[in-house]
Amino acid sequence: MPLVCLSSPEGIEALCSDLGVDYTDVRILMLAWKLKAEKQGYFTQDEWQTGLKALGVDSLTKLKKALPELEKEVEEPSNYEDFYIYAFQYCLTEEKQKSVDIESICELLNLVLGVQFRPQVDSLVEYLKVQNDYKVINADQWINFLRFCKEISFPDLENYDATQAWPLILDNFVEWMREKQS
Amino acid sequence: MSNQKKRNFQIEAFKHRVVVDPKYAEKTWSVLEHAIHEIYNHNASGLSFEELYRNAYNMVLHKFGEKLYSGLVTTMTAHLKEISKSIEAAQGGLFLEELNRKWNDHNKALQMIRDILMYMDRTYIPNAHKTPVHELGLNLWRDNVIHSSKIQSRLLSMLLELVHKERTGEVIDRGLMRNIIKMLMDLGSSVYQEDFEKPFLEVSAEFYMGESQKFIECCDCGDYLKKAEIRLNEEIERVTHYLDVKSEVKITNVVEKEMIASHMMRLVHMENSGLVNMLLDDKYEDLGRMYNLFRRVPNGLSTIRDVMTSHLREIGKQLVTDAEKLKDPVEFVQRLLDEKDKYDNIISQAFCNDKTFQNALNSSFEYFINLNNRSPEFISLFVDDKLRKGLKGVSEEEVEIILDKVMMLFRYLQEKDVFEKYYKQHLAKRLLSGKTVSDDAERSLIVKLKTECGYQFTSKLEGMFTDMKTSQDTMQGFYSSHLELTDGPTLVVQVLTTGSWPTQPSITCNLPAEMSALCEKFRSYYLGTHTGRRLSWQTNMGTADIKATFGKGQKHELNVSTYQMCVLMLFNNADRLSYKEIEQATGIPASDLKRCLQSMACVKGKNVLRKEPMSKDIGEEDALLVNDKFTSKFYKVKIGTVVAQKETEPEKLETRQRVEEDRKPQIEAAIVRIMKSRRVLDHNNIIAEVTKQLQSRFLANPTEIKKRIESLIERDFLERDNNDRKLYRYLA
Repeated sequence: MPLVCLSSPEGIEALCSDLGVDYTDVRILMLAWKLKAEKQGYFTQDEWQTGLKALGVDSLTKLKKALPELEKEVEEPSNYEDFYIYAFQYCLTEEKQKSVDIESICELLNLVLGVQFRPQVDSLVEYLKVQNDYKVINADQWINFLRFCKEISFPDLENYDATQAWPLILDNFVEWMREKQS
Repeated sequence: MSNQKKRNFQIEAFKHRVVVDPKYAEKTWSVLEHAIHEIYNHNASGLSFEELYRNAYNMVLHKFGEKLYSGLVTTMTAHLKEISKSIEAAQGGLFLEELNRKWNDHNKALQMIRDILMYMDRTYIPNAHKTPVHELGLNLWRDNVIHSSKIQSRLLSMLLELVHKERTGEVIDRGLMRNIIKMLMDLGSSVYQEDFEKPFLEVSAEFYMGESQKFIECCDCGDYLKKAEIRLNEEIERVTHYLDVKSEVKITNVVEKEMIASHMMRLVHMENSGLVNMLLDDKYEDLGRMYNLFRRVPNGLSTIRDVMTSHLREIGKQLVTDAEKLKDPVEFVQRLLDEKDKYDNIISQAFCNDKTFQNALNSSFEYFINLNNRSPEFISLFVDDKLRKGLKGVSEEEVEIILDKVMMLFRYLQEKDVFEKYYKQHLAKRLLSGKTVSDDAERSLIVKLKTECGYQFTSKLEGMFTDMKTSQDTMQGFYSSHLELTDGPTLVVQVLTTGSWPTQPSITCNLPAEMSALCEKFRSYYLGTHTGRRLSWQTNMGTADIKATFGKGQKHELNVSTYQMCVLMLFNNADRLSYKEIEQATGIPASDLKRCLQSMACVKGKNVLRKEPMSKDIGEEDALLVNDKFTSKFYKVKIGTVVAQKETEPEKLETRQRVEEDRKPQIEAAIVRIMKSRRVLDHNNIIAEVTKQLQSRFLANPTEIKKRIESLIERDFLERDNNDRKLYRYLA
């Protein structure tokens, strides 16, 4: 069943309300990932049709029902990193843009990692807001946030080694946390 | 008989058994036994060697070797027991003499007996696997005399007593000792060791333990070491005189252990006389003695080295952090050089130029010189001082020596690039003010820096020299093509190539008309011969010589800065000028202008201007007039600008910032170079390699290196490996 062409943010907003999902809900992001949408806030006709086929749905109701499955798919370890990276790239709206501003990163962290790594995200967001070494975050730093959450024990940070190849921003974050804790 | 047929005589064996008289053996043995008695009783002269030999020979031949041998053993044993008794009977000191005498007798007897029984020695004994006669004689002596219960312990205690006596200063009969000891050695090394050497070493250990305890309580370190050395030499001498040479190392070990090793720490750290005091007072003899003694014991030298190192580091740290001493950079560096000289001397005079000590000295200096981050600046200032005036009248060899010493300090610096920056600044000032004492010395130092750091380090410095030379030629060319100018003010221009000279903010001011016209002429001349270049006048760096006539007709030639010249020339057209008027007319920046006016109005002996009010500082409402009453002893007066040679705080910060900025591209270049050749490399290795590559210029901070790596990742020069995030990959 051909659905309405959603080549505009308003169209997507409408889609969201039809699905009963908030515009800022992470599941919309997951949908974008599944659709391999290139531009934030837009789904092209091609993306839409290919994506729906991949989901195996052809109606709004079916789409709504498919959302929980989609969530599970994203959370599979083999997909999760891919989704995580996608989330960052989705925010690069300008053509040669390589970094995302701190505000947006904080929101994105909340959205994407908030459920699984709540304590880390809370501390990291707090730190990002008070530090002023960096005004933007690049892709390398972004991917390492995930690594950090997955590998480093929290909140004791026992196994964090600053002489390893962690980005400097995380070295500074850990130092800030340790000072707070003492 | 001559014609008779010759017949060979043949001797045939008896065809029947020859029975030898059984008593023959007995008879023969008695003869020999008797002979042995006579020999022991010093009656050998009446004996016939030939007869006795024959008798012994016959006995062996007729298969009575066994009887002969056992007879010998019995007889000799009996005699030795007798001898033993007579030795035991000797009183006191005569005991050893008697023993010695009897030993000599026995040896002589043994010799004769052996000669008589030589046939048996050569035939029966080897066949029957018996001990040869000589050895037998020694063994029997050992068992019956030396090891007899009444002699064994008495012998040992007498020997030890004599040694002890000698150690306490008495003279003993060394010849007798030597003979007795030799006797023990002849009896076999196990006899020597068990019956003398082992107990000797034990007793010596006790003795020296006591000695050392006694001395350490009452002597200071130097005296103690003297005593230890004396004792050690004594023991060595004792061995050469009357002990087995193999005992030397054993007894010296005992002395070393008891007198040195056990008290090593206490000696080194002894208050008022220990190692540190010796170092402070340059006590070469004591230090040399300590070195020679301590090198004999395990960890001896490393102990000295460690204490010296920590002391040096302490002193060095105080030197470089003492605020008082830091006020005068030249003094500061001289103190460092003096300290280095002092320790070089100590190591060469007292420590045998030991390389490990040299290394410890070097590492200590490297440690504390870099504790103060102004060291590079101060060393450059020291050199500056020397090249400006310090080396005046000094011979060429002396100059080389001083420059080599400076290079040695330079090598210790971790932040060589900071030194380079300051050196460039100071060199620029020297060249432009023509204030260098010796061109040769300047060049010599550049060559040394080039040898040490490579061409890159000095290429810009050399560029500065080239500019000075080229400028001379340019000036000649200018004046020869503008002959009409020879009557006017003389202009001397130095054209500086921007890349080679320290960066200066380019501020121009308003030059007096005559000068600006002249400068323009030069500019067109220069640009005429050099296309594609841009000239900017550095009015903050020039000087001028002006002829001035004052109120009472005093004439002086004033040597001033360009700024000062601009100000003074204004007074050709006005008697009195306000600060603001001067500021506007000259266009000189405020802080420079204030300093400039201060040096002309507020400094005694240089006050060519008068200021109203007469306060010390220049205020914006002040007015200035020519000081008509100006006097000076000299016709030529140099008016310097009030400026500190040492950097002010903000300047210091600025230089440091520039150095940090300069380091960033160097670090990046190193990272790219390394990654280009390695392609893939892990984090720790990159840090290590980059640090190593930059070591000759500065100590790279791992955090800074990390920052640069991230920046390179962002700019797509590198990427992280997808699987192992510790690996970096070069992106072509």
